[in-house]
Amino acid sequence: MKNFEYVSAPNLASAITQLQGSNSKALAGGTDLLTEMKERIKTPDRLVNLKSIHEMQGVRDDKDKLWIGALTTLSEIESHRFIAERYPILAQAAYLTASHQLRNAGTLGGNLCQSVRCWYYRHPDLTCWLKGGETCYAQEGINRHHAILGNAPCIAVQPSDLAPALIALDAVVRLKGDEVDGDLSLDEFFVLPDEGLRQRTVLGKSDLVVGVSIPKPAASSRGIYLKSMEREDWSFALVSVAVQLNFAGSKVGTARIVLGGVAGKPWRAKSAEAVIQGKVLNDSLAEEAGAAAVAGASPFEHNGYKVVLAKNLVKRALLELNK
Amino acid sequence: MPKVVTQQVEFEGHFFEQTVVIEGDDITPWGPEKEFSVVGQPHTRIDGSERVTGGAKFTHDIHLPGMLYGKFLRSPHPHAQIKKISTSRAEKLPGVRAIFTYENSPEIPWRMGLTKLFDKRIRYAGEEVACVIADDESICLDALDLIEVEYEKLPSVVDAELALENNAPKLHEAGNLVTGKPETYARGDVEKGFKEADVVVEGTFRTQVALHNCMETHGSAAVWEGDNLKIWDSTQHIFGVRDMVATALGLPKHKVRVIKQYMGGGFGSKNGAGKYTILAALAAKKTGRPVKILLDRREENLLAGNRPSTLQIVKIGATRDGKLTAIYHKCIANEGAYAAWVAGSTGPSTRMYACPNVKAENFGVFTNLGPVAAFRAPGYVEGTFALEAMMDEVAAKLGIDPLELRLRNYAEVDPTSGKSFTTKGLRKAYEIGSEMIGWERRSQIKKQNSTATKKIGFGMGSQIWGGSGGPPAYSVVKINNDGTAVVLTGTQEIGTGAKTAMAQIAAEVLAFPIESISVELGDTQIGLYSPLSAGSMTLASVGPAVRGAAEDAKKQLLDVGSQVLNIPIEDLVIENGDFLNKKSGERTPVKKIYEKLQNYMIVGRGARGPNPADKVVNTFGAQFAQVEVDIETGKVTLQKIVAVHESGRVINPLATRSQLEGGIIQGLGFALCEQRFVDPHLGLVLNASLETYKIPTMMDIPAIEAEMVNMPDPDVNNLGVKGIGEPPIIPTPAAIANAVADALGKRIYELPLSADRVLNTLYPSSQNERSS
Ligand SMILES: Cc1cc2nc3c(=O)[nH]c(=O)nc-3n(C[C@H](O)[C@H](O)[C@H](O)COP(=O)(O)OP(=O)(O)OC[C@H]3O[C@@H](n4cnc5c(N)ncnc54)[C@H](O)[C@@H]3O)c2cc1C
Repeated sequence: MKNFEYVSAPNLASAITQLQGSNSKALAGGTDLLTEMKERIKTPDRLVNLKSIHEMQGVRDDKDKLWIGALTTLSEIESHRFIAERYPILAQAAYLTASHQLRNAGTLGGNLCQSVRCWYYRHPDLTCWLKGGETCYAQEGINRHHAILGNAPCIAVQPSDLAPALIALDAVVRLKGDEVDGDLSLDEFFVLPDEGLRQRTVLGKSDLVVGVSIPKPAASSRGIYLKSMEREDWSFALVSVAVQLNFAGSKVGTARIVLGGVAGKPWRAKSAEAVIQGKVLNDSLAEEAGAAAVAGASPFEHNGYKVVLAKNLVKRALLELNK
Repeated sequence: MPKVVTQQVEFEGHFFEQTVVIEGDDITPWGPEKEFSVVGQPHTRIDGSERVTGGAKFTHDIHLPGMLYGKFLRSPHPHAQIKKISTSRAEKLPGVRAIFTYENSPEIPWRMGLTKLFDKRIRYAGEEVACVIADDESICLDALDLIEVEYEKLPSVVDAELALENNAPKLHEAGNLVTGKPETYARGDVEKGFKEADVVVEGTFRTQVALHNCMETHGSAAVWEGDNLKIWDSTQHIFGVRDMVATALGLPKHKVRVIKQYMGGGFGSKNGAGKYTILAALAAKKTGRPVKILLDRREENLLAGNRPSTLQIVKIGATRDGKLTAIYHKCIANEGAYAAWVAGSTGPSTRMYACPNVKAENFGVFTNLGPVAAFRAPGYVEGTFALEAMMDEVAAKLGIDPLELRLRNYAEVDPTSGKSFTTKGLRKAYEIGSEMIGWERRSQIKKQNSTATKKIGFGMGSQIWGGSGGPPAYSVVKINNDGTAVVLTGTQEIGTGAKTAMAQIAAEVLAFPIESISVELGDTQIGLYSPLSAGSMTLASVGPAVRGAAEDAKKQLLDVGSQVLNIPIEDLVIENGDFLNKKSGERTPVKKIYEKLQNYMIVGRGARGPNPADKVVNTFGAQFAQVEVDIETGKVTLQKIVAVHESGRVINPLATRSQLEGGIIQGLGFALCEQRFVDPHLGLVLNASLETYKIPTMMDIPAIEAEMVNMPDPDVNNLGVKGIGEPPIIPTPAAIANAVADALGKRIYELPLSADRVLNTLYPSSQNERSS
């Protein structure tokens, strides 16, 4: 690891000032950033520790919404009583994330801002497009983990498990910084990278996630998070799906269906949502919604299976919620 | 009396003639009727508390005053020629003590002379280019960034089939075929055999590269004491490391002392010295300080060895009543940049079944990838997967139960030599195993538990392997004047529990409580020669020598005891650490007699006797798997696995069970999730980390029901034991793959059985769609 300077920020404002330095990075749990530093993928001169910032801590129940500070660990999210009761899909997503040890250290903010896991990006001997190079090696390479939706010059998928769940819950993210400031729908927080901006969130260099707030769900609301992995535990999603449905009697009222592991950002499957809205769920409708979710998918050499998998997971999630 | 004889020796499926000095064949083997008090009883590890309290010193734990550390610069290119190397900037970095490159290092031949310690020709990404020695590892890493290397990139090849093509880039002057020719085997006439067959099945199989991923990575620490070199090495073969280092550095063997007390796994990848060993020794010499070089996880997974990927063609012919008439098995194995042996997978096809006509061909291929190393039953895991899949297809074609088909082709004698087996408990293993899994009821269980999206399936696999062990191996048993005893050998404990088993053997023979026995091993200077701990041979080689030494010591003890106590030797026995006068019932603690004998010490000597010349020694087993396949997500869940193995007498049922469980877990990883990925264009390994290379977690491990057919082998050695380290991994992938085929009604010819493979098989149209 390259030598670096370490500073602890007493508050948000000071953290933002500290981050303006030449090559500074915000540090929360460090579970992602430190591995990148060890592999020399990122070589910051200065780390700004966020853990000391009061404004980014805590889980608060504000009548019509729940506030989760960016420094909340994944373990806290997984086991928090309110979250388990009212937003089970978030607790499920947290539980299915990484390993116990990582969840004890990793934070919500870090989880949303983590780097992609693409093995070309993470390879110490390659400078891929995302790292400022010219080529996205995955497109002609071993792309079994890569995107099937959303054409982008980099085909790494957004790795976060919390993101699809939070978007399905209609979460709003609070940002603070120089370039972006204020509340933003989490759905819009994530972007596909392009020539102009080789990154995956709207955050500028010295911008921070302060926390997210989730509106209180309707009484009739039910959700589920399903994740397909290469083994039972401690694995990123091949494909995941977060579904939150409001029922109006036996019919689906509003629906939010968000896929993980299929695109450079959490993939809101609006056409699948439209298929079921106002209808009574059954096998064939669930199947139709699954197909709609992956309509337009364009897989690469090794990830065609994800089309089937995403389709089947959407179908399965809907049928589970209809039980 | 020592006898010089020439013997047929088997190691990991390969046979050699060796001249050996035979001793220790004068001890009557423990027969099946023998009753025991310590042997055969479950015993927790005698070094268990050191292990769990952190007291156990592994190579990684060796910290000496003034120690320096080393790290290698490794090639980022799979195939290249180094044009120029400049270390001057790195040398200036504070804390850097030495830098080794081809310019200032001895030209030590490496990998049977296929390369050198530092070769200007680079044959895989990750190969050593330079080594920095510094005050700590992080200085080493900073220094590596400052070394400037000019490479001329050469065209590379990572695919074994492509490497065999005429215009493929050549790794070695003699071409890309390992040893220059295939390794072949034939008996009978396969062409004729296929003509006689009523049914013929043929399949093309592919298995992946698997990485050992030992918990403790490879590494060495070295220090010079005068002109004596002392090395701690995480190895399965202390004497092998000693010999390699002595040869490399031109030292007499006795000037090199290799120590290894505890080790975090080897699985075949730690059978000799590494470049890290040689560099630690060279650097320690140059700097006059102790030097330690450890591989990190990424290095471990790039170059510390692997199970080679295979392409296999298996063709089987059988008559209508299920008698095999011919087996043809061809294997192409991707051995990486260096190998001295052809890593074939056809062994099980030649030895498992009573088939008169068999032909096997193994092609080992050099490619621009990290080199192969033996990996727990090399070749047999892959070969058994293919063979047993084809056996199931024969069974299906003939409408015969798969188990019944295996029984109809049961080899009563070794089909390759016609000799009989010392023991063969496979029939018993089939019987017990099929009962445990509910083989007869399986269609009912499938029907009851399968749903529209989740399909249950059953499958089985059979296992044959060596495991006889053999000479030379020596031991000494000392009886101390406090009534305790020390077993001294030169073997090494690689984590299997061999130490405990040897204590049990000594305790049994001496009739001492096991708590009074200590076992010293893992040191070439004070130990007695023992073979490498590979090929499932440690206990079957060293255990009999320990028994011999203990018998010798006991004889002396009784002799001295009878004189001191004035009791006729016929009336004297030892029981629970006491002399017992059989006539009077009077007891005297062993240590009591020493009070009169100053510092008298008993030293018993033992050696491993010969293997039988007229019989064949093999280990056997059968495993049965029950899986559930989720046909919507492609996920395979191993619900239950039953393993029944026969490996002679069981010394410690607890340790044996650990071996069975460990083998099965490694086998299920190979069957379901472990796989190294390489980019075909770049020639780079993509998943050299534990996050991306998927080893099963606790959550992936199902109920394991494991049993041994305890069948003391009267011919193999004086204990009646054979090895059990490797056998349990062999049939696991076969059993799982057959169960998956049963669940799906469709066979997948490749491993691992990952979700993408299952889905691509079930939904073939989803494959190979390409984006514009
Ligand atoms: C082996 C492994 C397996 C994993 N498996 C999963 C998985 O299955 N699913 C999953 O979702 N994740 C997984 N992860 C990722 C893990 O969840 C993240 O590493 C963790 O959540 C990051 O949190 P952290 O606090 O440690 O972040 P850090 O490592 O401290 O930071 C990560 C990044 O986010 C930035 N950052 C941190 N906090 C903020 C903030 N408040 N505002 C702006 N930027 C910020 C940092 O600058 C850095 O760039 C895995 C990680 C590992 C190492």
